[in-house]
Amino acid sequence: MASPDSLGQFEQLVLTAILSLHDDAYGVTIHSKVQELARPKEISLGAVYITLDRLEDKGLVASWLSDPTPERGGRAKRCYRLEALGERALQESAVTAKRIWDVIAEVWGKEWAREWGKRWGKEAR
Amino acid sequence: MKAGPSRAAEALVAILTPPACREEVLGDLYERYRSPRQYGLEAMRTIPLVIISRIRRTADPQVLLMQAFVLYLSFLGAAWSIDRTLLQEQWGLMRLAIPAATTILGIVLEDAYAKPGRRSALKLVRRPVIGVGLALLSQGVLSTGNLNLALPRWIAPYGCAMSLLLSSAVRLLFPPVTDQLQGANAPALWLKQAGGSGDNRAVGVAFQWAATVVGAAIAGAWMADRLTLPKPRVIGSLLLLSIAFQLWKRG
Repeated sequence: MASPDSLGQFEQLVLTAILSLHDDAYGVTIHSKVQELARPKEISLGAVYITLDRLEDKGLVASWLSDPTPERGGRAKRCYRLEALGERALQESAVTAKRIWDVIAEVWGKEWAREWGKRWGKEAR
Repeated sequence: MKAGPSRAAEALVAILTPPACREEVLGDLYERYRSPRQYGLEAMRTIPLVIISRIRRTADPQVLLMQAFVLYLSFLGAAWSIDRTLLQEQWGLMRLAIPAATTILGIVLEDAYAKPGRRSALKLVRRPVIGVGLALLSQGVLSTGNLNLALPRWIAPYGCAMSLLLSSAVRLLFPPVTDQLQGANAPALWLKQAGGSGDNRAVGVAFQWAATVVGAAIAGAWMADRLTLPKPRVIGSLLLLSIAFQLWKRG
């Protein structure tokens, strides 16, 4: 199995969005989820398309066209799902992020980490 | 019923969007529609990125470089055989690059806007024809607007004819990634990195070597003229440098 390249931050966000959306991952929903994950940064739909294409070229996600629906003006959706390689790449990214967090918490103290954890929790809600 | 964009606006967006991703892009923009202004702004922000992404997927830098090389060589050959005074002018070599660059632009856009899944030799030749048509058109525009940038009368048509032949040959030898059979459903990047069949790879390597030698000879001759140094020495040094670079690149 080919080893996945390391992922950029935006690629991690898009992969996470696809993972969380399960069977409902397509352009609009992925964009909304990425926007939610990346806030307060503004994310354009085009940036999401470029990243999805790149991830598909790398073999990290697969796509297919669904049936056309009337709420989309009779147009089909391009749905996405994570491939095994994509899942592995995302796992590696998550492990790295966790390691970074552990080191920061160790250096800046557990109190600080708890404080920040609370603040992020409030923002997420 | 949900309000949607006007037919004219949607038709315009459809024309500008490459066919390979038209369906989903139009659908997504329709679903996010709130007002004509929002639709227009979102389309303007999205379509350029969709085109760039499509170009990135369909263009193979190595093949493009080869094509740029044969195109420039075609116009250089035409200038050499018709009017050598152009080569001595200050911006002569640069002027020859304009039709070559326009042809490349035409080929790149035609690749990006090609409908996926249709394979035919005619389609491979059609792209250089469109590129060359664009080059002739640009020469027509330049000759009416800025005579200093346009090529002398017969160089452009001769160069275009020659580049059509050479460029079509390159296209037939190295078809675009999207036109290659994808039986194993391999991601496009892997196909690009694989570089097609073994035969094509060997031709590609031979082509690169030839391009290196000719490129070094042309650049050397030009530099020797500018710096009034002995031509053989400059060309020889450049050749050695470029061969050393190619060997270093291949490890």
